[in-house]
Amino acid sequence: MEIFVLVKQVPDPEAMIKVKSDSELDIENRYFTNFFDEIAIEAAIRMKEKFGGKVTVLTVDNHRVDALRRGISMGADEAIQITDPLLEEANPFAISRAIASYLKDKPFDLILAGRQAMDDDAGIVGPAVAELLEIPHVNAIVSLEIDPQKKEALVRREVEEGKEIIACSLPALFTCQKGLCSPRIPQVLNVMKAMKAQIKKLDIKSLGLNPNEILGLKDIIKIKNYISPPKRPPVKMIKEDFPENVKILVKLLREEAKVI
Amino acid sequence: MEKVDVIIVGAGLAGLSCAYELASPEMSVLVLERGDFSGSKNVTGGRIYLRPILPYISDLWEEAPFERHVVKEMITFMGDDNSTTFELYSNRFNQKPYPSYTILRANFDRWLSEKVSEKGAFIITQRRVDDLIIDRGKVIGIRIGDEEIGADCVIAADGILSFLAEKAALRGPLNLEHFALGFKEIIKLDPKIIEDRFGLGENEGAAHLFIGSITKGMMGGGFIYTNKESLSLGLVIGLHSLNARLIHEEVYKLLDEFKERPEIRNLIRGGEVLEYSAHLVNEGGIHAMPKLYTDGMLLVGDAAGLGLNMLFTVRGMEYAIVSGVLAAETIKRAKKRNDFSKKSLSEYEKLLNESFIMREMETFKNIPKVLRNERVFNKYPQIIPSLFEDLMWVDETPKQGIYRTKIARLRKEFFNLQTLKDWLLFRKI
Amino acid sequence: MENEIWVFAEEYDGKVRRVAFELLSASAKFSKKIGAKVSSILLGNKLSEAIKSLTPFSDKIYVLDDPILSPYTSEAFILNLSNLIKKHRPYLLLGGVSSTTKDLFPRLAMNLKTSYAPECTSVEISEDGELLVRRPIFGGKVFSELKFSEARPIMITIRNHTFSVDESLNKSAEIFSIEALKDSTISRKKVIGIEKVKGERVDISEAEIVVAAGRGIKGPENFKIIEELADVLNASVGTTRAVVDEGWRDQRDQIGKSGKNISAKLYMAFGISGAVHHTLGIGTCKTIVAVDIDPNALIFNYADYGIVGDLFKIVPALKDELRKVVSSG
Repeated sequence: MEIFVLVKQVPDPEAMIKVKSDSELDIENRYFTNFFDEIAIEAAIRMKEKFGGKVTVLTVDNHRVDALRRGISMGADEAIQITDPLLEEANPFAISRAIASYLKDKPFDLILAGRQAMDDDAGIVGPAVAELLEIPHVNAIVSLEIDPQKKEALVRREVEEGKEIIACSLPALFTCQKGLCSPRIPQVLNVMKAMKAQIKKLDIKSLGLNPNEILGLKDIIKIKNYISPPKRPPVKMIKEDFPENVKILVKLLREEAKVI
Repeated sequence: MEKVDVIIVGAGLAGLSCAYELASPEMSVLVLERGDFSGSKNVTGGRIYLRPILPYISDLWEEAPFERHVVKEMITFMGDDNSTTFELYSNRFNQKPYPSYTILRANFDRWLSEKVSEKGAFIITQRRVDDLIIDRGKVIGIRIGDEEIGADCVIAADGILSFLAEKAALRGPLNLEHFALGFKEIIKLDPKIIEDRFGLGENEGAAHLFIGSITKGMMGGGFIYTNKESLSLGLVIGLHSLNARLIHEEVYKLLDEFKERPEIRNLIRGGEVLEYSAHLVNEGGIHAMPKLYTDGMLLVGDAAGLGLNMLFTVRGMEYAIVSGVLAAETIKRAKKRNDFSKKSLSEYEKLLNESFIMREMETFKNIPKVLRNERVFNKYPQIIPSLFEDLMWVDETPKQGIYRTKIARLRKEFFNLQTLKDWLLFRKI
Repeated sequence: MENEIWVFAEEYDGKVRRVAFELLSASAKFSKKIGAKVSSILLGNKLSEAIKSLTPFSDKIYVLDDPILSPYTSEAFILNLSNLIKKHRPYLLLGGVSSTTKDLFPRLAMNLKTSYAPECTSVEISEDGELLVRRPIFGGKVFSELKFSEARPIMITIRNHTFSVDESLNKSAEIFSIEALKDSTISRKKVIGIEKVKGERVDISEAEIVVAAGRGIKGPENFKIIEELADVLNASVGTTRAVVDEGWRDQRDQIGKSGKNISAKLYMAFGISGAVHHTLGIGTCKTIVAVDIDPNALIFNYADYGIVGDLFKIVPALKDELRKVVSSG
């Protein structure tokens, strides 16, 4: 099986992120592999272990490749970094176009991605790449079974009312949700090997992309400015003893907050 | 079992210094850190003395992210509602190479770990070593989860409660009396305000120690160090005293009360608490040190018990860095001989003994005894402001002769049997 | 000239999801400022009830009623929506945040080469007719304001309860029935069935009131008191990552960064310490109440009301007190 995993490195949830100015953020230099992408990598590796084949991890990033190294330390065979000044601060549509232009002539069976990234919280690239490659996709899967002979997958995706069971022909793209599998913690020695691994770099030119197309897609949606989150007023601690405090809380919820 | 040349457990100052010195194309060095990033588990008051470490890894320190160089030293003796401060400003301190800098570990350690990585050592974080692999009395590797990695030598740089030292039977059970607990806050404050309040020029720093009623009779003291854009403020209290007196929650209260003192409150006014942290400190001195090496393993830094409370300052960081470098030196020589036995690694202890580290540990070996004397933290500090206050107080009653009253007082406080006994002990410092 | 504001009216089991009415109400206000008509877009099967419910809220309703459109598949929806949109090129296409829009909208936007802003917390039209859209990023640590190109429609999904339903709306919608298109892509995927989750509660991401317990609940069996409190409030029950990882509750109840964002009007957290992982999921709740035994628990930094105390005493007492209040109306 030929599997590609779309991965990304994002600031650690504990990293300090502040609005420096209208157009600039101050981000503490603590990055890790996007949580859902790790799940996707794990799912891919398990498929490889079951059916044989190759797993390639792919990222679009001008500065970091932590997620690629993580993928390799977990068992991926190859790592690709799409990097180009034109893709700096690109929106998900431009990024999807770059990814799709790489994948469009590759013989893949399966593309996996995380259901969303913890930086832009958008969840756009997965389905958008599927659209550009004209393959079916399912979002937020929590189970995955493959029949390579029949070229078919059976997945479950999370919906409001429960879990929907879907049969899908391959090749296809699935975005992965928590619960699909638990990512393995790579062995230290594999991490060391991954730190030295070769990463293939590709730019827009080598992908055969027209810079104007990328610029056009970048224009579709942009961030105008950043703002700090609205500050909540400080908490009102109800200091009375039990059971008065409960009565007071209910009173406040009713009369002040007006939510019950 | 796959192997590397050296495994260093702990990416603090000792571990990183050792890795920096060792890393080369001929030596594969793996550093394993249990924290999220290098420095995440480390805390200092604090201030680092540069000159003892300058001869070691000298090319690094030029660009190190120190905070401010210290030109002012202050000691405040605190009574319950008064205090007296001695302040030293010295031109000598204000000339390069500066003798000491204030420092923030999260920044510093992370910078150092980047330098170490650049040199070729592998630093892997969020990994806790579970066990040593010992074969016929020799340490031959470590175990993480179900992964085993071999090494010619393991360096235990795993800090103050080094479980590796215990696993290798280099030390016995821990004694509370050998440790103190330091806890601090980092308080954000505009650099100009810091400079105004402490009377400093740009980039200049102050180190301020407090002793007396703030520790409520327990062994210890307080500190404030000026960083570039913040203050490090905290307390260090002997674990033995602490355990006997307070329950866990009240440790926070002590710090709050310290901050509430009018002398302190005005210094930190308008500041924003960015961070709270705590760490144990080695205070047992030379007598509390474990054995430093065995077949296939060396201890460095806090794990080796290298730390000293010298009353006017606490030492640990310089010992960590230099012990790390000396351990690296030992290993390089051992590798040439291809001999990592106890006998071969004993060179480490020799190097330590010749260095300032063990000489100071030896010189100040009686400090722990002095520290156990509660009058050092209780009675003596409080007399000084009390005397001074008496002197300066003028009211309706006619002022009495200075010599008569003060000497009478001094005699009462300082010339008695108990104090004489204390003096005998102080002479040993 | 901006002509229409379209609201994706998501249908399930013959009923339209509540968020559509919130968006239609908001769109009615928008249309006053820019003169656009408000249209509901309804795809599915057996839609007569749904159409009825949408009629007072819409100027127009575009209906595609066909078995091929139920249950939802991206293939059938993209084919038909893309075609419909290309014909009319509305100004906006608004939708709620749901498993369907998360699956559909990104692909549809790429298909149309148009913009898409997911999970927005604020959409406004200024006095000069300018569109102001804001959304959280980095889990809500920062908010971004967006700039759009000329591409149409501008696709936006909005969190539940951001807007309120205007019950006073009394339009008489013009209904346009459109025949559904089919093509070969539709056979690539087939929905075989659905494993419904047990219980009658609304999903936490849609609930108006959510009560949750964290590690402080000390065990799965103790969730009983939380369920009973939820019954009185007609609320849904959420939890934290720690509890889900222990196996005490299902993943679908998890609130937080790797779980769900909730935008309830009332959120009550019991025995939840408030690690950043969790609190990033509750930022848009209107009123937050926290109860924890630890006075230094971080959750109190995010709450509006807080009580330091034993949840095992407080939760049952709260239930009783609320029962009195709720029943008295």
